[in-house]
Amino acid sequence: MEHQEYKELLAISALDALDGTDALHLEAHLKTCVECRGEISELRDAAGLLAHAGPMQAPSEDLRARILADVRAEKQSVRPSERLSNVMPIAKPPKSGFTTQWLRIAAILLFVGVGFVLLSMFLVAQREIGKLTREVEIQKTELNREREARMEDQKVLAVIMSRDARTIQLAGTQTAQTARAIFVFDQKSGRAVLMTDGLPMTSTEKAYEVWFIPKGHAPMPGKVFTVDSSGHAMITDQMPSEAMKDAVIAITVEPKSGSAAPTGAIYLASPAS
Amino acid sequence: MQAEPSKISDNDLLKAIARGDEGALAGCYDRYRLILFSLILRILHDRQEAEDVLQEVFLQVWRRARDFDESRGRAFTWLVTIARSRALDRLRASSSRARLATEAEQEPHDSMGDAAADAVRSEEGEIVRRALAELPAEQRRTLFMAYFEGLTQTEIAARLGDPLGTVKTRMRSGLMKLRELLRDRSV
Repeated sequence: MEHQEYKELLAISALDALDGTDALHLEAHLKTCVECRGEISELRDAAGLLAHAGPMQAPSEDLRARILADVRAEKQSVRPSERLSNVMPIAKPPKSGFTTQWLRIAAILLFVGVGFVLLSMFLVAQREIGKLTREVEIQKTELNREREARMEDQKVLAVIMSRDARTIQLAGTQTAQTARAIFVFDQKSGRAVLMTDGLPMTSTEKAYEVWFIPKGHAPMPGKVFTVDSSGHAMITDQMPSEAMKDAVIAITVEPKSGSAAPTGAIYLASPAS
Repeated sequence: MQAEPSKISDNDLLKAIARGDEGALAGCYDRYRLILFSLILRILHDRQEAEDVLQEVFLQVWRRARDFDESRGRAFTWLVTIARSRALDRLRASSSRARLATEAEQEPHDSMGDAAADAVRSEEGEIVRRALAELPAEQRRTLFMAYFEGLTQTEIAARLGDPLGTVKTRMRSGLMKLRELLRDRSV
């Protein structure tokens, strides 16, 4: 606070009307400022003049005698406790209302503080809920994937366990001498399973494609797939009915989105029947 | 006491009381009973309570006269401050604020209860009352609310529905005007 600001509070303090932080600040300032102490004393004298403002009224006549009787009684038996009990308001003690004001301020601050804590707890909770919701979504997606994988496995099993299952072995060509594959298909449903081993990983632009080549027929495209790092793949496919009697099954490398006709090198092929 | 009570200064009167002079206390009572009783009555609005408080005030004057320091202010101020403090304490204690409000806004005037009061209509009082009458009503109102009702700046602002800054300015301006009376040696 600037000194001028303190000076502006003096008149209000002289009327005992200062409250809140103003009162605190001025109280502290007056301890060190002689100028302001002098001025506030003068302003208190000015405030005292207000006692002239009311209508003049007289107390009852017997009050004088009562007061003098009190004084005489006091003189005769000096009661130390009472001597000390009355506080002289020249240096006025802080207003009792002042403490209440501070309690009020403290209560409000506490309230605001608690409010902030609750608000930040709420915001943290909101963030957590958001996080959990996202996690649930991720879990759901994974569950679906696993469910699909399981369904896929069941399809595979169904083919392999079928009484009408027929197995065709594929051997690696010059291009992929270590590659092997087994092709199992259900002669009734045409459902087929292909399991590969030892196939090199394709570049990101390419993938493997299955071909069904019935006798005297152009190659018919099957599924497009990729292998894992150990050259394994297991996919299900549907054998076209024309190819079920006798067909050569081949696997070539194609663009990753597949091809209508074989363009790449042959990696695996079944023996010509 | 040798001299006429009315010829002794307030300061000397209090000094005598501090020495245990009962006559000085009686003299002080005679000199100040009207103004102090009127002040207390204006705060409490109850004659019986006002008389009780006046009795307490003079007992306190008797006990604490030695604490009065004339370098720190007028004897008049010391006395009216005791009276005002005791009256406001009694007011708060008996939660009798309900009695207030109507009195506080009245223009200052003299209603002489008895003939004796006429004689003590002081020159100082006249000058102060004239000066107060010349103040803008809002300034006078804030002064009276603070002084006679013991309200704080915040309470006054709330009661009047005025901004705190405005109330503060009015109180300051009003009190500065009263201070001029002292500086001009009018009182």
